[in-house]
Amino acid sequence: MARKILLVDDEAGFTQLLKMNLEKSGGYEVKIENDSMQAVAAARSFMPDAIVLDVVMPGMDGGDVQAQLQTIPSLAKIPVVMLTALVDSTELSEGAVAQAGNQLVLPKPVNLSLLLRVLEEIVPME
Amino acid sequence: MEEHSIVESVLDNLPVAVFAKDATDGFRFILWNKKQEEVTTIRASKALGKADHDLFSQDSADYFRSVDEAVIKRGKLMKVPEEIIETKNGREVHLRTVKIPVHDKETGRLLVVGISEDITEQVKSLEQLERLNRHLVATNKELQETQMQLIQAEKLESIGRLAAGVAHEVKNPLALLLLGVDYLSEGIDPDDPNIATILKQMRDAVDRADRIVRGLVDFSSQRSLSREATRLSLIIEEVLLLVKHELTRSNTQVTVEIEKDLPFVYLDMSKFEQVLINLIINAVHAMSKVENRRIKIKARSESLDEVIKNEGARKREVFRTGDQVVILEIIDNGCGIAAGDAGRLFDPFFTTKATGLGTGLGLSVARRIVELHGGELTLRNRSLNRGAIARLILPTKLETGKVTPPINSSKEIDIPKEKLSP
Repeated sequence: MARKILLVDDEAGFTQLLKMNLEKSGGYEVKIENDSMQAVAAARSFMPDAIVLDVVMPGMDGGDVQAQLQTIPSLAKIPVVMLTALVDSTELSEGAVAQAGNQLVLPKPVNLSLLLRVLEEIVPME
Repeated sequence: MEEHSIVESVLDNLPVAVFAKDATDGFRFILWNKKQEEVTTIRASKALGKADHDLFSQDSADYFRSVDEAVIKRGKLMKVPEEIIETKNGREVHLRTVKIPVHDKETGRLLVVGISEDITEQVKSLEQLERLNRHLVATNKELQETQMQLIQAEKLESIGRLAAGVAHEVKNPLALLLLGVDYLSEGIDPDDPNIATILKQMRDAVDRADRIVRGLVDFSSQRSLSREATRLSLIIEEVLLLVKHELTRSNTQVTVEIEKDLPFVYLDMSKFEQVLINLIINAVHAMSKVENRRIKIKARSESLDEVIKNEGARKREVFRTGDQVVILEIIDNGCGIAAGDAGRLFDPFFTTKATGLGTGLGLSVARRIVELHGGELTLRNRSLNRGAIARLILPTKLETGKVTPPINSSKEIDIPKEKLSP
């Protein structure tokens, strides 16, 4: 059975290409959500095995989405991979990562093979 | 009381030098009044009966003689606007002289009568005035150059502040390109329906990164003020691209309302972008303690008469009535302007921001740039809601608006921007 991944990022082009890549690699079913305000609702209806979450987004940022997911028991356990293009290392350590708890943070531009490896680890094929 | 003829008394009390030479007797002096004594520092007793060559230097005497001969030959009055004689003590005296040919009926002699006005002081003050003027022009030019340097320095400052955001905006298209490359490098299946989408996305990403980088390079260039007919919407679009990251990060919602068919405005793109970036970043900072941060950018065209009716007569000094102007407003819902700060907002180095967040030059430079465009920049609190309005009034013609001194060649229109070479 394909593993379900929810991609939350306001960059429509980026999510479209990431989806194509993940699906091409086999074994993934990917849903895109470009509006971070809808991310939690999308997670609730899609019930993904993992969520890939951008940090800097208008409306709610990645940290906000993550915090909200934590408050919902059925979603709190879903592993989250944060993506960030923030170049300022202080922002990375003080801001997003602290809010994201101990979740994984990957830098943007995304190294596809690294992301695939991470996903393989947190949601292994059954 | 000495005995003098009326003529002698009059001559000696005239404020001008008067002399006469006998052309029929080697141009020897037969008349030499008091003022002539003063001007030449030669006594009448020494001069009478002598010719120019006995009294003045060879060059001066030659010149005087040539004029005298010409006066006699033409039988007409001649004006010498300025001649210089050097006195015995080495002082230069500037004279304006009229020479008149006179036929003395009683004696049958031909005379040259000269009347000279001492214009030395006039010439000296004129020279001094010219020197002062040259100095003033040089100082003014220096001031304008300094001002352009200040504008540039402030701009580099904001580029520094924008750099992280711009880098982020460039990284997004790069991320997308990398994903495209990843997809394609797995082997290309000609029947794969995704390929067309991927290639289009990659091309768009290159365009986008190029636009952002080009925008930053254009913005950072130091050119003399060069105004071109521009659509305001275009500048606003470019600026929003450069500050996108700041807006996203601060979670600020921006709405743009531009009236349809807004007239062109004559702007220096790079310098005007600087103004808008300053105003938008200011608005973002002013909203740091506010939820629901909102910036509204509105532009409309109005006749100046309406502006005066609504705003009072103060605008008259800047624009002429009947002018069509474009009004651009940047409205935020931030903390507004504190009552005590209103008078100092545009003072250089005045800032309410924490150390390191602002130089205090932004608004003063912004206002100067707007004034260089013949426009006006004001800031005030909103009347009903919280927040501030930055309002720009811009002329829609090149020649209207306040006359500002040209900076280098300030009205180079339609000069194409330098092309970026790869």
